[in-house]
Amino acid sequence: MTKEEIYIKTLEDNKRMSTQELLQLITSKINEGYTNFKIDGCGQHNIGGSSWAKDRNEELTFRITNPGQRAGAMALAGTNIYIDGSAPADVGWLNSGAKIVVNGDCGDTAAHCAAGGKIYVSGRVGTRSGALMKHDPKFESPEFWVLKNTGSFGFEFMGGGIAVICGYDCDNINSVLGNRSCVGMVGGTIYVRGKIEDIADCVDIQSLCDDDINFLSSGLKEFLKEINQNNLYNELTIWNEWKKIVPLPDNKKEKNISVAQFRKTAWVENGIFGDFIQDDYKVYNLAATGEGRIRIPAWENNNCIDCKICLNNCPQNAIGNENKIYFSDSEKCIGCGICEAVCPKKCWEMISNRKEIS
Amino acid sequence: MATISINQLHMDDLPWIIEYDETKCIQCGKCSASCSFNAIKPVVEKRRKPSNGLQKPAFENILVIKQNVSFENHCRGCGMCSRVCPNGAIKAIRNPNDRYSVRYRAAKGDSLKKGGRSNLNTEGRTLDKIKIGRISQMTDPSLDAARHKFELRTPFGRILSADKLSFENKDGKMQLSSQLPPNRWIYPIIMGDMSIGAISWRMWEAMAVATAYLNEVMGIPVRMCTGEGGIPVRLLKSKYVKYMILQIASGHFGWNRIIQAMPDMVEDPAGILIKIGQGAKPGDGGLLMASKVAKYVQEIRGVPRADLLSPPTHQGLYSIEESVQKMFLSMNAAFNFKVPVAIKVAASVTSVSVYNNLLRDPYNIVGGFFIDGLAAGTGAAHEISLNHTGHPITSKLRDCYLAAVHQGRQGEIPLFAGGGLGQTGSFAADAFKLICLGANGVFTGRLLLEIAGCIGNDTGKCNACNTGLCPAGLATQDVCLTKRLDIDVAAQNIVNYFLATDMELKKLMGPVGNSTLPIGRSDALITVDKHVANRLDIQYVC
Repeated sequence: MTKEEIYIKTLEDNKRMSTQELLQLITSKINEGYTNFKIDGCGQHNIGGSSWAKDRNEELTFRITNPGQRAGAMALAGTNIYIDGSAPADVGWLNSGAKIVVNGDCGDTAAHCAAGGKIYVSGRVGTRSGALMKHDPKFESPEFWVLKNTGSFGFEFMGGGIAVICGYDCDNINSVLGNRSCVGMVGGTIYVRGKIEDIADCVDIQSLCDDDINFLSSGLKEFLKEINQNNLYNELTIWNEWKKIVPLPDNKKEKNISVAQFRKTAWVENGIFGDFIQDDYKVYNLAATGEGRIRIPAWENNNCIDCKICLNNCPQNAIGNENKIYFSDSEKCIGCGICEAVCPKKCWEMISNRKEIS
Repeated sequence: MATISINQLHMDDLPWIIEYDETKCIQCGKCSASCSFNAIKPVVEKRRKPSNGLQKPAFENILVIKQNVSFENHCRGCGMCSRVCPNGAIKAIRNPNDRYSVRYRAAKGDSLKKGGRSNLNTEGRTLDKIKIGRISQMTDPSLDAARHKFELRTPFGRILSADKLSFENKDGKMQLSSQLPPNRWIYPIIMGDMSIGAISWRMWEAMAVATAYLNEVMGIPVRMCTGEGGIPVRLLKSKYVKYMILQIASGHFGWNRIIQAMPDMVEDPAGILIKIGQGAKPGDGGLLMASKVAKYVQEIRGVPRADLLSPPTHQGLYSIEESVQKMFLSMNAAFNFKVPVAIKVAASVTSVSVYNNLLRDPYNIVGGFFIDGLAAGTGAAHEISLNHTGHPITSKLRDCYLAAVHQGRQGEIPLFAGGGLGQTGSFAADAFKLICLGANGVFTGRLLLEIAGCIGNDTGKCNACNTGLCPAGLATQDVCLTKRLDIDVAAQNIVNYFLATDMELKKLMGPVGNSTLPIGRSDALITVDKHVANRLDIQYVC
């Protein structure tokens, strides 16, 4: 076990150390028991990621300048990464517990898929940052703190975790979350200060509650301390400048009016055929009674023998008689034609009920 | 009555036979009551009880359902009887020994009429032999269909090539020095193109309501073509006319009312479609059987009750050039050159010549070319036209597109393709494939009827639109039948279908990596059929 800091300079005599050489050097030093690294990078990727101290009770610390992509990607809890200056894409990609502090801006997809740890950025972050962040409830929620703003398409498909976008130094920016952020967001919380626009319609934008304020007050202190900006605390804690973005709960999802309501309220009054047709918009069943019948029975005394065969065979009990006069109740009759079929004297005749609208 | 003479029409001559199980029947009468074709009726059948040897045989009368055997009243296989039967005692069965068409012609000395669809369907569909096979994987990212924002709109109207845009320098600023041809960015699916008369007022209004709803509530800029049977003045004078493409065909039905309404119109219509021909019966004019010429149809169209036959040609047109001069110019002029004017022809061996000719368009007034394939629907047609004339849409659309490509003029006159789309279940897939082959958009009519409740199919079921006895209340003017159609359900179903199609189109755009319509992206298509590959110039795969 040694606390001595290992200093690695990755560019000497115009010869650049490759990513593989650097990462393998770091691993071998860790295996020797070293835990502190200062790395003057030259664009090497994945620095600080997927590493753990030989003694699992100890922490690893990386102080990095000029890293390549994916600094702190796939980093574990117990890893502390301090980047002096800006870092390109994928800072903290799949972060699984590390603390990553970037004293500068981040490229695109910062904190992409982060599921643990804390990422602190003192500047701006690029597009699709925070996309697919998630929270496994067996572990602490990931946190992603950005002092300024994010590029567009941030937090797409976010499933969990907390992002805090402080909107500092954003006076000339229309939206501190860029355009079309939060598309497909189903979980997690984004706190944002300042102007936002063009956010996906699957989220709800709310005011802060006490719990939110408590979280932000203590969290901001820690964040500002890490990025050496304690002086901004008062400026950033005017809570009515903050909003909270969460996925829209099902019961708040806007339901469109039905087409029927639209026809009744917005459509041409009395219908576009209203000057020709008085339509009550009633709907007939396939075997309808009354005016909905395709055929209707007509009775004529054709030497009726009053046998009541029609009356007794009518499936609708629609036939009545009085003084040897038979009649059919149009409110019951469906026009099936059984009366016509069974009458031995052919008193019943089915006639067409076809007619046109007027 | 049993058939006695061999020349009498018999049940076995008919296309459908009623299969009836008297042991299940409770004689509720619903089947006969629901049959709009009067094809079945209850009858009393006399049955003989066998003698026990001691007495003479006795007879009993039982009530059964029988089918009518006549040219006028016979089963079309619509199946309303089995829908209403509580016990499954009755259904229509296709008769493999059907001789109806022979018997009809022999008995009537008249051509056979049908509605709905072509019923031969012998070739199979080219579109079904095509798959979307160029999927964005490692080459370029596919798009998330559920969440990505897609731009599905397509131009309707004349597009000028860049070299024809006339700019001038005015006060140091670049400005257009002349008016551009009118152009509308619309959803790539145009609905309708079915006339008032051919379909019921409820169905027509349901389509119009659905169109307005999709625009106003859902923000989907779908346009509806009116068909040529006139347009209700109340619609012309409403703001919703801006979603309507007014059609003029050879009959010019209802145009006097449109002209009279012009001073009172608060919005311009979405466009004008000059219909030269239709895919289901190319070279034949419109046909509206007298049974559907209801009083209001007579009024709107300005005709008496009679079989209405539109001429197969516009009688004032003798050449393509003249059609550009007369029809395009007049229709453009009618709306002060502010409304795009397109033309619809039936797909034909000659379509490319027409399109090439239109592409010259010296006046910049040809706003679209609609090609209608042979699988299209119709309210009524002579069966001979329906089954034996026409041209499939796919290769014709492709030919036209490539003809424009060879001149470097693709997209200048937008192409719209239609005719039987959605026939095998996926309208979005058909639309997408045609767009990849070069269509700017597609149009559909018959599918809307199916969405609203039409039970016909491409193998002879129902297809009796010409009779005016549509059991679903769609292709009829009869009150009892029309009122079977719930206008709100029909309109809602159309809306829902469009929303589903919209999602499905995106499900196809995502994988090919297009966030805008992939017009002409034939590299996205593959086929295992070499002939199809050669003809359409798409990739053959195996």
